[in-house]
Amino acid sequence: MYALAALGIILVWRTSLVMHFAQGSMGMFSGTAVAFVLNRTGAPLWASVLVGAAVAIALGFAVDFAVIRRLRRATAVGKEIVTLGLIMVFLGLAPILFGTEPMLLPKAIPDGALTIGDAYLSYNGLLNICLGVAIAAGLFVMLQKTKIGLAIRATASNEQTARLMGIPTRRVTVLAWAAAGVLGMLAAVMIAPATTVTPTFMNTVQVTALFACVLGGFQTFYGPVLGAYLIAVAGNFLQLYVSSVWGEQLLYLLILLFLLVRPNGLVGKTYLKKV
Amino acid sequence: MTDVLQVENLSISFGGLKALDDLSFTVSDHEIFGLIGPNGAGKTTVFNCVTQFYRPDTGTVWFAPGVDRLVRAGHAGTDRIDLVGQPVHRVIRYGLVRTFQNVEIIPELTVLDNVLIGGHVDFRSSMIAQMLRLPRARAEEAQYREKAREALRFLSIEHLADQLAGGQPYGVRKRLEMARTLMAEPRLIILDEPAAGLNESETEDLADTIRRIRDTFGCSVLLVEHDMGLVMDVCDQICAISFGKFLASGTPVEIQRDVRVHEAYLGERDDA
Amino acid sequence: MSTTFTAAGRLARNPHVGYAVFGAALMTLPVLAGSGLMMTSTLMTVGFTLIYAIVAMGLNLLLGYSGLISLGTAGFMGLGAYLAAYVQDDLGLGFWVAVLAALVIPTVIGILVGVVSLRVRSIYLAIATLTISEILLKTFEQAEWFTHGTAGKQSHYPVILGVQADRALVFGIIVVALVLVMMLTHNIVHGQLGRALHAMRASEVAAQAMGVNVLTYKLFAFAVATLYAGLAGALYLFFLKSSYPSTWNLFLSLNVVAMVVVGGLRSIYGTVVGAFVIFAVPELVLKRLPVIGDVAGLPYIFSGVLIIVVIMFFPQGLRGVWDVGRRMASTRRPVSAPVDAARDEVAAR
Repeated sequence: MYALAALGIILVWRTSLVMHFAQGSMGMFSGTAVAFVLNRTGAPLWASVLVGAAVAIALGFAVDFAVIRRLRRATAVGKEIVTLGLIMVFLGLAPILFGTEPMLLPKAIPDGALTIGDAYLSYNGLLNICLGVAIAAGLFVMLQKTKIGLAIRATASNEQTARLMGIPTRRVTVLAWAAAGVLGMLAAVMIAPATTVTPTFMNTVQVTALFACVLGGFQTFYGPVLGAYLIAVAGNFLQLYVSSVWGEQLLYLLILLFLLVRPNGLVGKTYLKKV
Repeated sequence: MTDVLQVENLSISFGGLKALDDLSFTVSDHEIFGLIGPNGAGKTTVFNCVTQFYRPDTGTVWFAPGVDRLVRAGHAGTDRIDLVGQPVHRVIRYGLVRTFQNVEIIPELTVLDNVLIGGHVDFRSSMIAQMLRLPRARAEEAQYREKAREALRFLSIEHLADQLAGGQPYGVRKRLEMARTLMAEPRLIILDEPAAGLNESETEDLADTIRRIRDTFGCSVLLVEHDMGLVMDVCDQICAISFGKFLASGTPVEIQRDVRVHEAYLGERDDA
Repeated sequence: MSTTFTAAGRLARNPHVGYAVFGAALMTLPVLAGSGLMMTSTLMTVGFTLIYAIVAMGLNLLLGYSGLISLGTAGFMGLGAYLAAYVQDDLGLGFWVAVLAALVIPTVIGILVGVVSLRVRSIYLAIATLTISEILLKTFEQAEWFTHGTAGKQSHYPVILGVQADRALVFGIIVVALVLVMMLTHNIVHGQLGRALHAMRASEVAAQAMGVNVLTYKLFAFAVATLYAGLAGALYLFFLKSSYPSTWNLFLSLNVVAMVVVGGLRSIYGTVVGAFVIFAVPELVLKRLPVIGDVAGLPYIFSGVLIIVVIMFFPQGLRGVWDVGRRMASTRRPVSAPVDAARDEVAAR
């Protein structure tokens, strides 16, 4: 699930060179929409998720059209600040639209667990992992084999050239934002059963997803996914065997230290600045 | 006559493409040295390798700025050092300064302030002393202001000292950049295409300025330039390169007569 | 340009006099509150505004000159607050040691984080500080011995030089601190340090060629930002006499970014105005509006929309609006060179 959020961030980063700080809160917003539909109308989970996906796509479109596209002239830093502003807008909007009461999202598979040695893995967790892998794999296939994927990769490597070659880079960017939105939403829906749906429940996801990108390196699409799974596994391990309270903090510190050794991430390459 | 800069066997490649291939040349004291070559010959790459923006794959860049300079920069007991591997921001400490092809100035600061940045490495006051505006920091600031004014006067733009640099015409910006190099008490100034964008009379002025700088400050100048007129006019020695390889070197007259240089520029090749 | 905000500043040649006069004007507020002309809650709001102005000043230095974003402001500020409380109340070491601890420890941590993250790519600082902030927040919630956890840490007005402080005195200290911070920032910006920071902002490559160690200066800017955050945290604690973990969340960090952006990058008085717009306006105005005043998320949206609008239309912040207005009034010519140049510089990043 972190992997999905991380993928969303990397998709936006590669296509519009904006560090997408609002990934978590956009996911939160559409995730909350899912919970809202589910709790209020009693619709089944899959239908609510569809609604959530629609919301996420609409949000991605809206953000790109209304804001990001008009910022062509602004700095990368300016754009990043804008995504920070977006966090606040979504944090503020969610309780107004969906109410301030914490909501619950059920698990897709209510109970049952797999026991491997000492560790328990609920069927729902298993489903999440499988779904995460499947979606990530699906995205890779799309990126590598299809025309759209080629367009995204071309835009990622050099937007100007891509545009000159007739690739509709604007459409690609919109698509990336929308896809990031959906990925965020899915991540939110997967995380949600473990906690309650409040405006801040995606903060950890945001942090972890960003860290997955750092760990995996920003140059490839698969690096962050790798990073995300690594973080998830290492996080569980630390919480289980070292300290349930401090495990997470310890993990973050470890990753910071890791940056000292491999500043460009696991599969990162150094790049030359042109003078 | 000693040599201020000795580039030996410099090679660098980008992604398998050899941008520089075993290039060597030497710049003597008080010399105006021209580096020429057709587009894409690797002139700027040489430049970036000397100033350590790029780290060459092999080769050395010996720099001999004089013993007192080296002592000041913390290298006592030697008369030359290899610049390769030095951090970019340290290079200027040895008295090696550069200008930029697309004139790097700070538009929001005044002309004077822009020049003052050139003296950055010689500022001795600590960060804390500057933050608290201790008397020593203020005295030093005043002293450097006067020095910066002198540099501006030298390039006859002192009257613009207190105007914002951003609104100045191109010619002034170029002079401003030159004034800035003078602040560092240079031993070698590298000028990256200083004539680009200048008209004929401005270029003549420039030639004059380059000579005056050399004569007044006793430094050497490494000129990377497209404008053949300027190069032939001011340079004592010229090195021509093509596709990252050494082509020819000599005085302007020798270079003008050199068949290889003509071939490289005209793209003619009798046989391979 | 910063002196034009106060009439007194325009008269005095020395900008420091302007800051002092600005401080003196603020000092009259507790008197007003004491005589009942102003509500105490308003005084509190102004006090917090000034505290946030201090933090924002630090972030402005960081964001305005090095283009770096720190999302850890709240964490460092909270650390300053808890340290002040811990040193003053639990260790009983008094006001000065408490302030010193709140200044030094966050700064040291900040520098460590900076050293690790800044070597690679500037954006890593934002990620690293975001993380540190989350770690600190969790620590505030869980380290009971230090912070009393979610129940909140209670503290007292400090005793300074043998005098038991009250609200008005702490307000005075805040004003003094703000004025000192403004002066310090002014000195940084207008000396060789500032020129180096400017050079770095205009072009890192050119700055390096001129001998500016870019990493050192980024670290410097970040260290000053955390120093101010620690100071502001301590002041916050002394003013409110308590601290709760939930105060130091990401939203506060974002709000500080908003203050800087709205107030205008690289503008000292602008930062104070930005702090006022982002913090005091929602407190004093929005909450009292009919119907929508009760909506919980309103200040969030207010800040968020302001950030986006300002970045989109007024890249210079309120100061930019001010400059544009002044230029139109004086020459009736469209905004030209400096703004364009600033944009180009910005685009070149």
